[in-house]
Amino acid sequence: MLVNCLQSLGQWLLRGLGGLGGALIMLLQSVTVVPGPRGWQRLVQQLYVVGVQSLIIIIVSAAFIGMVLGLQGYTLLVDYGSEQAVGQMVALTLVRELAPVVAALLFAGRAGSALTAELGLMKATEQLASLEMFGVDPLHRIVAPRFIAGVIALPILVVIFNLVGIFGGHLVAVDWLGVHSGAYWGNMQAAVSFADDIVNGLIKALVFAVLVTWTALYQGYMCEPTSQGISTATTRTVVYSSLLILGFDFILTALMFGGL
Amino acid sequence: MAKKWLEVSVGGLLVAGVVALLALAIQVSGSHLGGSNSQYQVSALFDNAAGLSPKARVTLSGVTIGEVTSVGIDEQTLMARVDMAIDGQVNYLSLDTSASILTAGLLGEKYIGLSVGAEEDMLVDGDIIEDTQSALVLEELIGQVLLNLGGN
Amino acid sequence: MPQTPLVEISDLHFARDTRAIFSGLNMQIQQGCVTAIMGPSGCGKTTLLRLIGGQLIPQQGQIKVFDQALVNISRDKLTQLRGRMGVLFQSGALFTDLNVFENVAFPLREHTSMTADELNDKVLLMLEAVGLRGTKELMPAELSGGMARRVALARAIAMEPELVLYDEPFTGQDPIAMAVLQRLIRSLNDNLKITSVLVSHDVAEACEIADDLILLGRGGVVAQGSPDKLLNSSDPLVYQFMHGQADGAIPFHYPAPELITELRTTKAISSLQTSTQTHSSESH
Repeated sequence: MLVNCLQSLGQWLLRGLGGLGGALIMLLQSVTVVPGPRGWQRLVQQLYVVGVQSLIIIIVSAAFIGMVLGLQGYTLLVDYGSEQAVGQMVALTLVRELAPVVAALLFAGRAGSALTAELGLMKATEQLASLEMFGVDPLHRIVAPRFIAGVIALPILVVIFNLVGIFGGHLVAVDWLGVHSGAYWGNMQAAVSFADDIVNGLIKALVFAVLVTWTALYQGYMCEPTSQGISTATTRTVVYSSLLILGFDFILTALMFGGL
Repeated sequence: MAKKWLEVSVGGLLVAGVVALLALAIQVSGSHLGGSNSQYQVSALFDNAAGLSPKARVTLSGVTIGEVTSVGIDEQTLMARVDMAIDGQVNYLSLDTSASILTAGLLGEKYIGLSVGAEEDMLVDGDIIEDTQSALVLEELIGQVLLNLGGN
Repeated sequence: MPQTPLVEISDLHFARDTRAIFSGLNMQIQQGCVTAIMGPSGCGKTTLLRLIGGQLIPQQGQIKVFDQALVNISRDKLTQLRGRMGVLFQSGALFTDLNVFENVAFPLREHTSMTADELNDKVLLMLEAVGLRGTKELMPAELSGGMARRVALARAIAMEPELVLYDEPFTGQDPIAMAVLQRLIRSLNDNLKITSVLVSHDVAEACEIADDLILLGRGGVVAQGSPDKLLNSSDPLVYQFMHGQADGAIPFHYPAPELITELRTTKAISSLQTSTQTHSSESH
């Protein structure tokens, strides 16, 4: 019985490694090609689908999260008489952690699952096979523009998330709770360093972008071409992306901020 | 028509991203556009530099003029040696400037406060501040108080 | 004068996961004919089309198309070969983000450098051939299933291929759509000298338009010949398939132990016993 357990564990590991290898090959095959003139058009199209259409959820979430941070921050700090520090609290929390992580999770749920479903449906309706028969490599034509669009879009969304969140915090802390506006911005500016905080946050965003987009495209490309298969793949995208985001967030945080 | 809107909105997204990044840089982190990058190094020796860490502020009359770059042991004197990077435009620190390790607020972080003296010559790159006031260590303070109380 | 067959398959072995689909398949498809490949579900008809199109690689054996071996072929040669083939997928497989005109124009844009006017004319002629020139602005989602397939056919022949593969073109079509497709396949074959290979379940339709029928089964070819020859065959599997019988060489019942051993209620057992008694008394 123990031998069976070990055997299935071993098989599971081997399958996992095989999947990872397959995913890596898919990625490398997709992006090692310079797009032609039509490639830019496709990239712009994908940027719209992945970036512009995610704007609403990002902005609304950022606003609410910023406001909650302002509110919670004020409530916690006012007991120590340090409510004037709420500006730097909101800013640092957002820039270092919440903006990259929450934006990436939302992105995985909205854009990632859409990418998986779209690619899976193209596979199920034999559009990918069709492309192959017309001598067009679906990895270059379909997968690559989506990947690059994802990698470009998420960092932009994170930057916007940061800004909207900070202004959301301002709305609550300054306009509603009476923190001094100068103190809000002043303390923040003193505490937030561009190179250490904002840039590190963007590096996180970039890493998450690669992870989420890659997972979404791989799941879609490799799914079973049935409706059941597509739904499984979409669920997997969201779950795996979320786990990868949180796991890598810990690693990156430890490297960037823990080392200081 | 739909295509035009698509391209415009993607362009808008990219512009919004760049603008947001600039806004973050200026408004949130207080970076200066075309900031004065010239700085000069000044060091100070303290008996006790407890709680002072690199990146701590260096102030003059409460205004931030630089930051601490490193805190270490000076092997010759076995005192704490604190290196500071001072903004190049602040070139009026006299040779007998004193440096104190102060605390911001009750639970706040440690920072260095400079106080200008009367000498005519100014500190330049590589100089050492000798008149220093160490950090207040809570235990020593309590010990002092107890001693005084005991004495009375 | 015997011609080299357009498609020649020898000793093909192909398995998916652990299931062997073909073991030692030999087949030839002649140029200029309409050949129908038929067989019971799961015998590998669609897999065979994929193998001919070079999308799947056999474990063993050789496939030759246009006298060019497909196994171990270089990527460029394969692309070239595919330029001479057209494929009509079962679902049409139109690109959902392009309209009808752009779908048909797709292979032309990819592989030729025509001027916009030349492209326009070519696409419209293709759409005219399938009777759908008026739909050129519509999106695939706005077409009915049958219309989508006809547009896909226009796309498949846009490059004027020498060989067209049809994956179950008649499945799920109403009689009118079926008649239209039949007419198209036959006229394309006769007028443009295209060799057509179609995979189908529909014995009646296949017999009507095919010159040559190939029946797959048991991992290989069970029978090959003209529709008349197969209809008159005495092979039990061929007979069962061609005449659509529920039970025969391929049994109706999936293998299972005796029914009486699996029933539990006395009511069911006694009703089974009475019905078998009635049957045996009827057969006397």
